[in-house]
Amino acid sequence: MPEALLEAAGLSRRFGGLAAVDAVDLRVERGAIHGLIGPNGAGKTTLLNLIAGALAVTRGTVSFRGADITRWDAARRAQAGIRRTFQNLKLFAEMSALENASIGLHAGTRAGIFAALARTPAQRAEEERIFARARRALEFVGLGGDAGVAAGKLPYGHRRLLEIARAFVAEPALILLDEPAAGLNQTEAANLSRLIGRIRDAGCTVVLVEHHMDVVMSVCDQVTVLNYGRKLAEGRPAEIQRDAQVIEAYLGRGDAPPSKHALA
Amino acid sequence: MYLAELLAGGLAIGCVYSLVALGFAMIMRATSIIHFAQGELLMLGSMSGLSTLWLLPKLPAVAVLICGMVASGILAVAMEFLVYRPLRLRRVALMNVITATVGMSILCINAARLVWGSEPLRYPELFSTSAYRIAGVPVSPQLVWIMAFGVVLMGLLQLFLKRTRTGLVMQAVAQDAEVAQLMGANLTRMMLYTFAIAGMMAGAAGVMFGSLFFSFFEMGFLLGIKGFVAATLGGLGSLAGAMLGGILFGLIETFSAVYVSSAYKDAIGMVLLIAILLFLPSGLVGLWKARG
Amino acid sequence: MESARLKRSLTGIVLLALAALPLFEPHQFVLHMLSLVAISATAALGLQLLLGFSGQLSIGQAAFYGIGAYASGLLSAKLGMPFIVAFFAAGVIAAVVSLVMVPITRLTGAALAVATLGFSILVYLVLKNEEWLTGGSFGLMGIPRASLFGYVLAKPAYAYLLCVAVAAAVYLSLLRLQRSRFGRAINAIRQNEDAARACGVKVTLLKSQCFVIAAFVAGLAGSLYAHQVRYLAPTDFTFWKSVEILIMVVIGGMGSLFGAVLGAAVVVLVPEVLREVGDYRMLIFGAILMVVMLFGEGGIAGFLEQCLRPFSKPRA
Repeated sequence: MPEALLEAAGLSRRFGGLAAVDAVDLRVERGAIHGLIGPNGAGKTTLLNLIAGALAVTRGTVSFRGADITRWDAARRAQAGIRRTFQNLKLFAEMSALENASIGLHAGTRAGIFAALARTPAQRAEEERIFARARRALEFVGLGGDAGVAAGKLPYGHRRLLEIARAFVAEPALILLDEPAAGLNQTEAANLSRLIGRIRDAGCTVVLVEHHMDVVMSVCDQVTVLNYGRKLAEGRPAEIQRDAQVIEAYLGRGDAPPSKHALA
Repeated sequence: MYLAELLAGGLAIGCVYSLVALGFAMIMRATSIIHFAQGELLMLGSMSGLSTLWLLPKLPAVAVLICGMVASGILAVAMEFLVYRPLRLRRVALMNVITATVGMSILCINAARLVWGSEPLRYPELFSTSAYRIAGVPVSPQLVWIMAFGVVLMGLLQLFLKRTRTGLVMQAVAQDAEVAQLMGANLTRMMLYTFAIAGMMAGAAGVMFGSLFFSFFEMGFLLGIKGFVAATLGGLGSLAGAMLGGILFGLIETFSAVYVSSAYKDAIGMVLLIAILLFLPSGLVGLWKARG
Repeated sequence: MESARLKRSLTGIVLLALAALPLFEPHQFVLHMLSLVAISATAALGLQLLLGFSGQLSIGQAAFYGIGAYASGLLSAKLGMPFIVAFFAAGVIAAVVSLVMVPITRLTGAALAVATLGFSILVYLVLKNEEWLTGGSFGLMGIPRASLFGYVLAKPAYAYLLCVAVAAAVYLSLLRLQRSRFGRAINAIRQNEDAARACGVKVTLLKSQCFVIAAFVAGLAGSLYAHQVRYLAPTDFTFWKSVEILIMVVIGGMGSLFGAVLGAAVVVLVPEVLREVGDYRMLIFGAILMVVMLFGEGGIAGFLEQCLRPFSKPRA
């Protein structure tokens, strides 16, 4: 079997007596858009945090490009090519959209304190490159006109896009999107689906945690379903939609998703 | 027996630290801020007790203690009402709130200096001068009384929190303010009670310390930090930890001052503080919880 | 005029005016006070980097200020080293000592503040107790004046120009840092540490670097102070000194380099100008701390910026 980009084996995370994620295996293929769905409290965001390094694993391993990254911290993983967005937007509110995006390029650039003090030609050239790339990332997600606006002042939909731009700007191998469609209307959600497709076309592999079923179904190649921290089902979107266990998990216990996004 | 006197001294100062630490812990649980001005509540209680004694020299020790507690309690409530509450309502960032408490601390210290001067002030004799005999060992009556006051106050606090309605509501608010509010708790009032009690504990500690050593306008600074060390040693946010940490730290400091170095007595607390923050941030209580 | 260009022109004008001041032969005392302002401004600028830029509240800067002062004083008075060597050594020694504190940059918020406070108390105790080294409570006397390349800066005007030059150099250096990749990263750390980490920013490393730089700058300021007043006592470097530096930053405006300088001027000069205020100085400053925190952290610099806004067009 060809090596997957990301592999999680037996991944578990406990909080005291509660297993938020319980022995989950995950394989994300290079170039795929891999969805992660499940009822509320299923452990999706926790799993994402384990992959991103924001949370330490209790048990299990995470491998990225064949290397064991289980002990790596979040910054190291980001440097290695794993970027993410946050469910509750964590933007740098006082900085402009352009500066927010430029932070995404911090890891791949070099100019340190001494270079900054001396303002060497190399440092100045690097600054230009950083801002040029940041601008391109903003345009890529559709925020070209907002470059100078403070992130805290942007409308909600634009802030979600900015969060994605900041994660995408370094063209990471793997990008983890945590509920990017939360709070978006139909049009915005459709735009988002197209954006995710463009991100994949640009060479990134995407893991997408999402409740918005239209987005998941239209965009994902593979979908993993979690329930109570365990993997319930896995397969192509169409298969998942028909899976009896999955339907029961969503509908059987009164956790009815909004009718527009019903599975069947 | 020198050892007995040291032990008594350590326990007595430990009680002082425990009371200050309790105040830190209660405010931390209710507001998530480290109340920098806690030491100043101690100082103002100490000064108020002293002033009361100047006015009414025949007042018994318990009454002085209560006066000091009342003064500090009122001041603490004033702090909460005039400054901390507006800060909370404006949703000011945590760092700025902490800076504001630093400002409060500075204000109180300098106000005290203007009112009471910069010289250390002695408490008149509150207790008898001849030594008590406990189990055949002579112990200074001051130390005995302070320990007694300390234990009684801590006991009363525990009773209040666990047995009275208000106390239980306060604990509920400290654990989950939103839910407590949904169940009818008046957050504003509970916050005032929290500060009032933290203030009273500190005020009592101030009177106790003042009667043992002396009062001066800057006394709250070092004692406040040491109270914080005690609270952190026990486990910040835990009331039992605060009490335990206070006694323990009092003993550690007293014995180290004799057996290690007395010039660097204050340094012991600082080194302990940094060590705890770095290596055992959840304190002894955290260690205990991790085992079980 | 563009906002940035306006600021640059203003900075240039101010620097020129400061440099030209001695030509008007002001009273010696005025030059001495302004030298103290420049020295305090240097220390405040260091704290601004730490607090205003990277969001780390340190109330222990007096420790590094004191270490720098004593180091420079001892090296020049006891070991006869030339001023320039003592000056830079002071900064380096303060920076090296700050490395001890680097583990605490893992802490956040109030825990960090208290740890820095505890550390500065430790330093104070060492300064006070180790009489063989520092002279203890009797102080360190006979510190020579600053000198450059063997030429003693005996005239107050020259000492003043040195202090202003150092302050200006630190100011311009920090300005460059602010506008660099480093500056953006620490700004990001201040606003949202988790997000910064997720972008690959090595948070603890950068926070530590800020700590060391601030200590270095404070050490330099301490050295200038030692050679300006030429007598040091441990009581110059207590918690109150740390608080004074904090007040400068807060009054001037958190996050503004110009604000740190303004704050220094206010804290040093106002009590001199308003003699009656003298006794109430700290009382008022304590109140100001609370008031500024209540009404937004812009401080004086923020206020001025709002006033200047109608006159400047933002860059598109």
